[in-house]
Amino acid sequence: MLAVDVFGELSAIVGPKRTIVDPAELRTYECDGLAGVRVRPLAVVLPETTEEVSALCRVAKTHGLPIVPRGSGTGLSGGALPVDGCLLVVLSRMTRILAVDLENRRVRVQPGVINLDVSRAIAADGYYYAPDPSSQSVCSIGGNIAENSGGAHCLKYGFTVNHVVEATIVLADGEIVRVGEAAVDPLGYDLIAAVVGSEGLVGIVTEAVVRILRVPEATRTFFATFPSTDEAGACVSEIVAAGIVPAAVEMMDALAMEAIVKSTGVDWPLDVGASILMDVDGTRAEVDHTANAAVEIATRTGAIEVRTPKNDAERALMWKGRKGAFAAMGRVGPNYYVQDGVIPRSEISKVLREIAAAASREGLRVANVFHAGDGNLHPLVLYDARVPGEEHRAETVAGEILRICIRYGGSITGEHGVGVDKAVYMGELFTDADLETMNFVRCAFDPERAFNPGKVFPTPRLCGDVPGTYAPHAVEAAGVGRG
Amino acid sequence: MSVDMRDVRVGGTSVRGTLAKRIVSPTDLGEAARIVADAAERDESVAFLGGGTELGLGYAPSRVDVLVKTSQLNRVVEYAPADMVVEVECGITLAELQRALAPHGQRLALDAPYPELATVGGLVATNAFGPRRMRFGTLRDLIVGVSLVRADGERVRGGGKVVKNVAGFDLPKLAVGSLGSLGMIATATFRLHPTPEATRVLRVAACDGPMLATLSRELFARKLEPAAFVAVRNEARASYDAYALFEGFDSGAEEQAVRFEALARDRGLAAERIAEIERPNELDEETRTHGDVRVRVAVPPADVVALERDALAPLARALRDAKTIVYPALGVAFLSGYAADVAAAGSALIGARSVAEGLHGNLVVTDVRDRTLSDAVDPYGTLPSSFFLMQRLKERFDPARRLNPGRFLGGL
Repeated sequence: MLAVDVFGELSAIVGPKRTIVDPAELRTYECDGLAGVRVRPLAVVLPETTEEVSALCRVAKTHGLPIVPRGSGTGLSGGALPVDGCLLVVLSRMTRILAVDLENRRVRVQPGVINLDVSRAIAADGYYYAPDPSSQSVCSIGGNIAENSGGAHCLKYGFTVNHVVEATIVLADGEIVRVGEAAVDPLGYDLIAAVVGSEGLVGIVTEAVVRILRVPEATRTFFATFPSTDEAGACVSEIVAAGIVPAAVEMMDALAMEAIVKSTGVDWPLDVGASILMDVDGTRAEVDHTANAAVEIATRTGAIEVRTPKNDAERALMWKGRKGAFAAMGRVGPNYYVQDGVIPRSEISKVLREIAAAASREGLRVANVFHAGDGNLHPLVLYDARVPGEEHRAETVAGEILRICIRYGGSITGEHGVGVDKAVYMGELFTDADLETMNFVRCAFDPERAFNPGKVFPTPRLCGDVPGTYAPHAVEAAGVGRG
Repeated sequence: MSVDMRDVRVGGTSVRGTLAKRIVSPTDLGEAARIVADAAERDESVAFLGGGTELGLGYAPSRVDVLVKTSQLNRVVEYAPADMVVEVECGITLAELQRALAPHGQRLALDAPYPELATVGGLVATNAFGPRRMRFGTLRDLIVGVSLVRADGERVRGGGKVVKNVAGFDLPKLAVGSLGSLGMIATATFRLHPTPEATRVLRVAACDGPMLATLSRELFARKLEPAAFVAVRNEARASYDAYALFEGFDSGAEEQAVRFEALARDRGLAAERIAEIERPNELDEETRTHGDVRVRVAVPPADVVALERDALAPLARALRDAKTIVYPALGVAFLSGYAADVAAAGSALIGARSVAEGLHGNLVVTDVRDRTLSDAVDPYGTLPSSFFLMQRLKERFDPARRLNPGRFLGGL
């Protein structure tokens, strides 16, 4: 239970209404998008300014509380999962777009601003913010920064780290520091690269400046169906080999298509093995050429049918189908486990077969929806939690998928992050010395490891040569398990 | 190409005037790691030398006990054309790398100066870029993996060989621009791009500063997508020649060229087609490899008129035979020349820096030969307020301060 004096100190900063300690109210914050793991925080605070965040960090430091930052809580790896006894700092009230600078193609935002709201704010001027995670209508920029979020269109336009140019962060001792530069090349080490993708381990971002892009003059979309994922994979490879850089290429297998059709009502055929949804964008003549060439390649590589949307509404519907894929899974199975792994693009067919084999060994099915252009797989392991042991078998399959990705020279996460979910696999992807080196970065920012302890690294790591003695927090020493 | 080869100090035995006590040239990465480990054991300082094309950057290191030349570490470690990813050792030159990729219709979308000399390790260490930055970004935007030899000789890696990867802290990007102060860049892995089918280069002659800003704005307004847009100062005519480079499939590049011609016409100017397809690249190299004092200036793109008028023009006047290239859409410029009058050059450099910093930008002296001038003008200028975090990073990576000690920003 929270000592009265700590509650007093927290509520003196943000007011009693924005300080949550009531167990019933805390329940909302016990987990993020990672299903099945819940940890109750000691307290939740909802700051509205950088100064409030700073003051809250000082209180946490005084009382030795671990701090877990949280944005919209949509993350799928447990990055915003509380750790026992923590102060959960929720940034969802910091939702102001502070400045739009079209001439320098920059927007200054608070961390709680929803991803899509950045693009909405500048759409009338013909600009947009490129990183587009499927959850973009609910996820926040602060969370995107923590996870280095991608999305379908990062194939051509890059990830969050390519679009954030400046960040104001609050360190564990309450110090407020600005890293990067709004519009020019900053001097010195690339601290933006240290902050973006740090999964809440270095500080709390309270303000950020992001790059915005011109909406391309033309976008052409096509949807093609194939007998199997083999032909669909070959089609993607041929398109890339032809020198085309698609804005996005998404692939869905039969099971994923079935779920999407049932859930969204798109009129996709159900008697096919796989489909591709692809965007090319750019200047008009360039896009005419690449779209025609891509359609020709699809036909040549065995497409059963190629559809091009007649208007923006049809195009939007196709993409709605794709982006709603995770949510649609309920139509084909009571529960699902979203995996996120990366493989070299050329290995897609082989890897999909291995994944299917791994699933059938456990008597389960896997639906595949993925960013085919960059080899980022999202296998959805379907299971029924009511059947004893099935959830555990789903986890076994999900783990095996990551090991397949590692074996093919890929990665254990392309965009969802490591969090608590995959920390255990970090030691299979990286050597101890690699992880020690990454820990250097964390320790430079947070030598006492107050932020998000137990995340990302497979075993608790000390920072060493910190003045004074450091005792690891009990939670960190024990590791944060899965529920 | 009119690169002055006298200015390239390849095979040099000193770094910014600090003489190396010993020079070694390992033939494989294992040997390189052993050299660094041995140096650690003897408490010797280590610096790294690639093509020697950016040796003018930063401060003179306080000591260089061992200078590791990377020229024999020049292998392609892994190249998977179907995945458009390549891993190479640090000593391979940019041109050599491009030659390995060309048969597959691919390239590293980086057009930094001195491709025949500049090595991948050096390009990573300095976050290199050329005119095509407008479309493809800097090396930071192209790197996906790195392996380092740490200060203690341990070989570690970060990132990977797939483009999309968020597992762990981003060591590749931290290595970018670190000037050999965090570790030896042993190998780097890059994402590749297709070599374009067609290229069009157009020149609009005799632009003043405001016209460069106008053309830059118009490119965006009309949704053109040039791979590069740069402007080269013609001192004799006291104006700029602007070059736009369009790449893509033939029909696409041609359509953009025609629309750029219309854009110029609408402003009462003529866009002339240039035959040499690498032209903007070469002009950039000419400026950046010229003279005995060289600077890079960056300001917010919206302030490019003030940059030209208040920083570049006065600085060019204070140097003999000055050359200037501006990237108007990015707010970046390179200026080089000869410091005939050292006192005048010094005060002009300080004046230009104060203009850039006043615009929330910066001016970096990328090379200066004259010792008096070098002592008078700091290479970097005002330290960022986040410098204490950089110090803490350096302390973690190199606690004994043996890697290129003192050379980087703030004497890191």
